[in-house]
Amino acid sequence: MAQIDKTKKDPSGGPKKVSIDVGDGAAIPSREDVGLFTAWRVAFFGAIACILYLAFFKPDPYVEILKFLPDGIYVTFKVTVLSIVFALAIGLFTGLGRISKNRFINGAASLYVEVIRGIPLLVQLFYIYYALSKFVNVPDMASAVIAMAVCYGAYMGEIFRAGIQSIPKGQAEAARSLGMTPAQSMFHVILPQAVKTILPPVGNEFVALLKDSSLVSILAVSDLLRRGREYASESFNYFEAYTVIALVYLVITLFLSKLIGIMEEKIRAE
Amino acid sequence: MQNDTRRKMVEMTGVTKFFGTLRALDDVSLDVYDGEKVVIIGPSGSGKSTLLRSVNKLEEINAGSIVVDGYQINDPKVNINKVREEVGMVFQQFNVFPHKTVLENLTLAQVVVRKRSKKEAEQIAMDLLAKVGITEKANVYPTKLSGGQQQRVAIARALAMQPKLMLFDEPTSALDPEMIGEVLEVMVKLAKEGMTMIVVTHEMGFAREVADRVIFMDYGKILEEGSPEHFFTSPTHERTQQFMRQIL
Repeated sequence: MAQIDKTKKDPSGGPKKVSIDVGDGAAIPSREDVGLFTAWRVAFFGAIACILYLAFFKPDPYVEILKFLPDGIYVTFKVTVLSIVFALAIGLFTGLGRISKNRFINGAASLYVEVIRGIPLLVQLFYIYYALSKFVNVPDMASAVIAMAVCYGAYMGEIFRAGIQSIPKGQAEAARSLGMTPAQSMFHVILPQAVKTILPPVGNEFVALLKDSSLVSILAVSDLLRRGREYASESFNYFEAYTVIALVYLVITLFLSKLIGIMEEKIRAE
Repeated sequence: MQNDTRRKMVEMTGVTKFFGTLRALDDVSLDVYDGEKVVIIGPSGSGKSTLLRSVNKLEEINAGSIVVDGYQINDPKVNINKVREEVGMVFQQFNVFPHKTVLENLTLAQVVVRKRSKKEAEQIAMDLLAKVGITEKANVYPTKLSGGQQQRVAIARALAMQPKLMLFDEPTSALDPEMIGEVLEVMVKLAKEGMTMIVVTHEMGFAREVADRVIFMDYGKILEEGSPEHFFTSPTHERTQQFMRQIL
């Protein structure tokens, strides 16, 4: 998950320097880091080669396992994409709340971030699905998406906050001095510029969320991991099932990381 | 449009502003009349920028009153955005919008704030770009422009709102020397057209050419005011004499 480190304000009064360090960065190779770049290729093509090798030379049970998984991959993507969309919306509001001058809104947003970041995602999932069922019955898929979105929304909020604060104060002053309202200034001037800072860490959150989505398998959501478990408990081929699951996750994650790495390079080049 | 009634564009009375315990503005009173050009000079930290920024409420004052274009801007009930529509501001650091083209820099607030059609806004924008002499850069992003060009875009952007009053906060201080002239030229042109202007600057040549009144500030107070000639020939206050010696 992303860790945001906002360095102190530049004493010259210039723009605040913000660096967003990402804990999962090791999975995202850049061309300068030759060692890691090679490692990415070895891991990615190695994983694909392994899957192909197993499917061709040991079709029983590997082909059967592979046939079992596409439904799960679909569900994993569905949970991930829905969660990220909601997390982005929550993150935007949280980020805006965290920089709000209104003490109540600011306090509420900060409290949300602190509370959510302090509770493990697995516990949040259990809480929404099992604990809250005492009052309301939330369907599996909805619980999964709510828990993931609420959890990641807190992290996204910090990314949005850092991105917005990375834009020099003079930009907002220029917008306001032209008669724009705070909202107009935010949406026409500040946010469009902050997107450049915000996009790369959001991409990393996307990958992290995809991996964490495996946690929803503890609910009755048939994601990739749960499909593997279902197969394994029927066939007792635990080793084979989990090997394939790990390889499939690896391929998807490395592929997405690569995409994000390319996107990041493009943004930097602009 | 005649000034015989001498309508007050800005009326500041007893304005006081603290930054923490620092008294940035200390009981300052200043009136600026319609069509008048006032140049504010003074050493850094004297409060001149703070004074200028309080006119469009970029700085909130702690005591006193400021009336701009008939609006008491310290009154929380007054919609400050309405007042700011009529008050253009030019910053030392230009603050052009880097994600918008030059043309979009000029049309954004016209469309969003003044609710003009895109076509009308572009027409006004192109006329202003011609006026500041950068028509050919209309579709370029401002980061590709020199500092002088960026500042001219910033001036045109403020003018696109057709303000009644223009505030300039050290508009040439961040510029390379060879670019100062092109910006001052635009400002002189604007002054000659009758725009009401308050300018914080060290460019005494500019002050001499256009200022109706020069104001010298130090320690958050107005120490002396008078015609540019007065400041060149016979400044009375000791601090003013010292300052004039340093900058001339």
